[in-house]
Amino acid sequence: MQKSDGIPHFVEVNNIISSQSEDQVPAELSSWLTLVASQRDKRAFTAIFTFFAPKIKRFGIKQLNTEAMAAELVQETLSKVWNKAHLFDPSKGAATTWVYSIMRNASFDMLRKIKTKNELLLGDDIWPIETEEHSDSEVYADHLMERQMVAYVDQLPEAQQLVVKGVYFQELSQEQLAKQLDVPIGTVKSRLRLALAKLKEQVGESHD
Amino acid sequence: MIKLHPETPMLSSFVAGELPASVSVIIASHVEMCSVCQQEVERLTLQAANACFGESNVMPMAGVDSVQIDDEFGSFSLEAELDSNELSMLEAITGMAPERDTIVNTAVVEDKEIEVSGVRFTIPRALRAVEMKPFQGLGKLSRSRLSLEDGDIRTSILHIDKGGSVPTHTHKGFEITLLLQGSFEDEMGTYHAGDFIWLDGKHTHQPVTKTGCVCLTVSSNAIRFTKGVSQLLNPIGQFIY
Ligand SMILES: [Zn+2]
Repeated sequence: MQKSDGIPHFVEVNNIISSQSEDQVPAELSSWLTLVASQRDKRAFTAIFTFFAPKIKRFGIKQLNTEAMAAELVQETLSKVWNKAHLFDPSKGAATTWVYSIMRNASFDMLRKIKTKNELLLGDDIWPIETEEHSDSEVYADHLMERQMVAYVDQLPEAQQLVVKGVYFQELSQEQLAKQLDVPIGTVKSRLRLALAKLKEQVGESHD
Repeated sequence: MIKLHPETPMLSSFVAGELPASVSVIIASHVEMCSVCQQEVERLTLQAANACFGESNVMPMAGVDSVQIDDEFGSFSLEAELDSNELSMLEAITGMAPERDTIVNTAVVEDKEIEVSGVRFTIPRALRAVEMKPFQGLGKLSRSRLSLEDGDIRTSILHIDKGGSVPTHTHKGFEITLLLQGSFEDEMGTYHAGDFIWLDGKHTHQPVTKTGCVCLTVSSNAIRFTKGVSQLLNPIGQFIY
């Protein structure tokens, strides 16, 4: 086998994919979820998606009968995984069990909707998905903070706004931004520095 | 001490999400009260997840050492594994704005308490989103139907006051009773809070309660009274279950 810097990683990922047909769960699943939670990491999510999508689809066809409903289940389940990865606690159990619970709850509610035309969602009440008791208020505080930050950002001069929004909301790299805005990367850096200093000031003021 | 639990095959179907809503709800209500079944459900969920996604040999991790995703994936494109439908789904999902609002909904659950005929009791969490019709009384019995819309299966909360009883009856389909509070007796024994009692058409019973009790009941068919004068009461069977 060839040895160069890029190749071993290539092989590693390749193994992950080929091993899926043999039903082995990649050992990295938990760390991928953690990456999605902390950084909304798209590549980690792509790996999660690639592993789970076909299996959820199989489950969906069995439970919901049609290909279309099964695809809806895949979308519903993996959207929740993307949005709620921060609620996954690796010390409490395997990632597969966590995803299974999300999938089963979604499938249950979908099936009920088809059968009874009833919109009442019961899945998450029947099978509560464990979350840390205190995490909610923290997340809520985060959320308020985030809203406040958005308001502050909107008060920045437009050039600085573009940079902040690009980096923090669209998760672009500074290089990508420089290209997009057609300015030197140094300009992106200095605008960002100025903007952050201003934001810090404002957050500090409102907290005193 | 809870003596009666749902049997394992029923718990497996519960975990798989294969049971009707009303039956799922009453099992979930038992599981809330029963640590034995909580463990069993945990075990069965792990088993079901393994059957669906493959065996996880990895021990649950206490924490994650910073994983360098860049190094891990190199420049290899995972997307190559996906077809065009899957790719556009992936795009749609990762393009979503952070949906943090929904998390607030899962905020620490507050127990919902209810009072009927002077008795207070806690509604199982599994039922907290389900609408309850007003209690209707008949002698020492009061019943509230739950709006679960589950075909022929009816779900109710039943309160029997101290010294009350239900005339001897049989069940055409099945009847599940979860004793939420208090105790009652019948020909087969005494039942306590948390007991999960499954009866089918073969059983006949006449529950009596000395202390008064509150039950959650799920039944697939109206009950029928079987003894002499009680038969005249058959319309009550419709009322109770
Ligand atoms: Zn039990």
